[in-house]
Amino acid sequence: MEGELVQQQQERLNQAVQQQLNLEQVKMRAISLFKAISRILEDFDAYARTNTTPKWQDILGQYSMVNLELFNIVDDIKKVSKPFLVYPKNVNADNATILPVMLSTKLLPEMETEDTSKRDQLLQGMQNLPIATQIDKLKARLDMIAGACEGAEKVLADTRKAYCFGTRQGPAIAPALDKGQAAKIQEQENLLRAAVNVGEGLRIPGDQRHITASLPMHLADVFTVNEGAQSFPEGSSNNAYMKNTPLSSNSMGGQNSLLQTSGSQLLGRSAASPNVATSATFDNTAASPIPYANSPRSSTNMMNTPSPQQQTSQQQQQQPTVQQQQRQKMMQLPQQQQQLLAQQQQFRQSAMQGLGQLHGQHQMQFSQQIGHQQFQGRQLTSGHVQHGIGQSQLNQGNQMTRISQFSGAANNALFSAAQTTPNTQMIPNISAGISSQSLLPRMQFGLSGNNPQRNHASQMLNDQMFSMGGGNPGGMMSIQQQQQQQQSSQGAFGGMASNAQNLQSGMMTLQNTQQNHPNFSQQRQQNQQ
Amino acid sequence: MQLKKADMECVVQGIIETQHVEALEILLQGLCGVQRERLRIHEICLKNGPNLGLVASEVRLLCDLEQTEPSWTVRHIGGAMRGAGAEQISVLVRTMVESKVSKNVLRMFYTLGYKLDHELLRVGFSFQFNRGAQITVTVSSVNKMLKLHATDEAVPVTPGIQMVEVTAPASAENYTEVAAAVSSFCEYLAPLLHLSKPGVSTGVVPTAAAAAASLMSDGGGTTL
Repeated sequence: MEGELVQQQQERLNQAVQQQLNLEQVKMRAISLFKAISRILEDFDAYARTNTTPKWQDILGQYSMVNLELFNIVDDIKKVSKPFLVYPKNVNADNATILPVMLSTKLLPEMETEDTSKRDQLLQGMQNLPIATQIDKLKARLDMIAGACEGAEKVLADTRKAYCFGTRQGPAIAPALDKGQAAKIQEQENLLRAAVNVGEGLRIPGDQRHITASLPMHLADVFTVNEGAQSFPEGSSNNAYMKNTPLSSNSMGGQNSLLQTSGSQLLGRSAASPNVATSATFDNTAASPIPYANSPRSSTNMMNTPSPQQQTSQQQQQQPTVQQQQRQKMMQLPQQQQQLLAQQQQFRQSAMQGLGQLHGQHQMQFSQQIGHQQFQGRQLTSGHVQHGIGQSQLNQGNQMTRISQFSGAANNALFSAAQTTPNTQMIPNISAGISSQSLLPRMQFGLSGNNPQRNHASQMLNDQMFSMGGGNPGGMMSIQQQQQQQQSSQGAFGGMASNAQNLQSGMMTLQNTQQNHPNFSQQRQQNQQ
Repeated sequence: MQLKKADMECVVQGIIETQHVEALEILLQGLCGVQRERLRIHEICLKNGPNLGLVASEVRLLCDLEQTEPSWTVRHIGGAMRGAGAEQISVLVRTMVESKVSKNVLRMFYTLGYKLDHELLRVGFSFQFNRGAQITVTVSSVNKMLKLHATDEAVPVTPGIQMVEVTAPASAENYTEVAAAVSSFCEYLAPLLHLSKPGVSTGVVPTAAAAAASLMSDGGGTTL
């Protein structure tokens, strides 16, 4: 009985100690720790096998958990380890040497020296003082360090909050923006992105696209009146250019709108020109009946018509219907021809009368040209006329014959242009033609030196246009060439075909045509430049 | 030997509140290591008219107003890369052709038949540096003009928000590397803003205020 009791006592720990030990809890903790560590090992296995990179946050989280659990266990056991003594049971050859070291409480020599050195460092200057003071000083130091640590912890916590890092354990929870504010920002963002990428909200309606008087510097010279416009005589026309810029902006870009609107203005002006006769002449001109290309009509009529009025009267004998048609077309045909004519006339008139009559003379000269052309017995093969017509609308019987009758290349071009139905394709032509400043001087050159008795600019023009042997059809040639680009009607001057090719060169060929006046083939080649 | 032409670009866009722009500048200054360049660009967008064919095309003219002598650039932006590969990439890769031009470019395009579609004025700054690719970061406020071409009277489209663009030229051969370089750079900007493909909206970043505060402050350490 006693033996059993002793045995029982031997085998059962003191109840108090047992309670203190709380063995169950420790066992549970040990088991969970074991599980955590094995989980981590498994994870690493998986990482190694799949070759993925583990996320720092996860690993740290797991480690911290393991750490915590271990710490708790050790803490628990330490509390109750005092009454216990390690009694090595299985002493064998393996651990016989190491056991005393492990069981000893004395520090290892290295650790001991380290310890003493640290102690000396700590108690430096305090060795002599009584122990109590030493203790106080050490306490003060500890307090300071504790305070510093607290401060550091606080800063860390504040920063963590500011950055919303949150605690280690959980993911950062971003503070939600106030809903209204978020919606507002979203709306603004959409506006901005749309504006930058697509241009939403930046388009000015057409009627508001007026160019302000003060353009920024980098755009100032982009929108100056182009060279062609400068050729126009009236200052007001230039202003009109600018004013009319916004009008056609819907249809075309700035420059084109300028040209179109100016052209329309010119059109208007020419209609209202003081030379009333012009309209009449225009009608008459178009109606000159030249049924055959080899019309035997001499050119004398043309040559000897000094004044527009005279020419008008001549032409009034022509078929009125055709003239009307032509005039309509002339009117409809925009601005290009008007402008071209204006340009050329400009040059002629530069030395002449006021420019105000320029527009009026447009038509007048045009009509004169046409009449003259009709009278001249130049030979044109119909093939010429048809050559490269392309977009041209000349492929209409009567018009073809009429065109073929023209002797002067310039005449042809003008006349055909007048005859065709309104050809919007002329517009870019004109624009290009007008904007080439370099051509103008050439025009002048070509225009000079005509019949001196013809003071009237229009007369000069006519002469140049119509006289094969005489004056230079240069100016008109250019116009025709430009027109020919689209219509490619060809005159006897030959340059027609080539004129059709190069709008600009139409102007350039003025000199050439002038020089090689009688030689059509040469002109043609030169025109092709 | 054929020169490698950079006819594509990788681009991402983001927004940032105007109040944080200064902080972003500090961050970029630190990341890029170059000085910022002021930016004042008048961008004119032209669209072709009906006479130029059926396919709509758009051309942008950029006039740099910051220089004493305004310099013009023409830029054509093409379609973006599509497909599964493009979806994987976090930046937008698109064809882009750019060239310096003379100041007659606007007139030339008008003559060709292009018409003005819209225009805007960008005012801000930009950083250009090399970090795996030649990257350009532009932070600017986008302004619109109420009157045609009145750049002096431009008002911001969104006063409180500015646009951030990160672009890098690329070619068909190296766009993946360039895209990777751009996206890795963008990660550095994460505390302040999110960057995404143009057209994808991102919203503002919630940490922006805190990040901006810390960038603007002097560090704020307490002495022990």
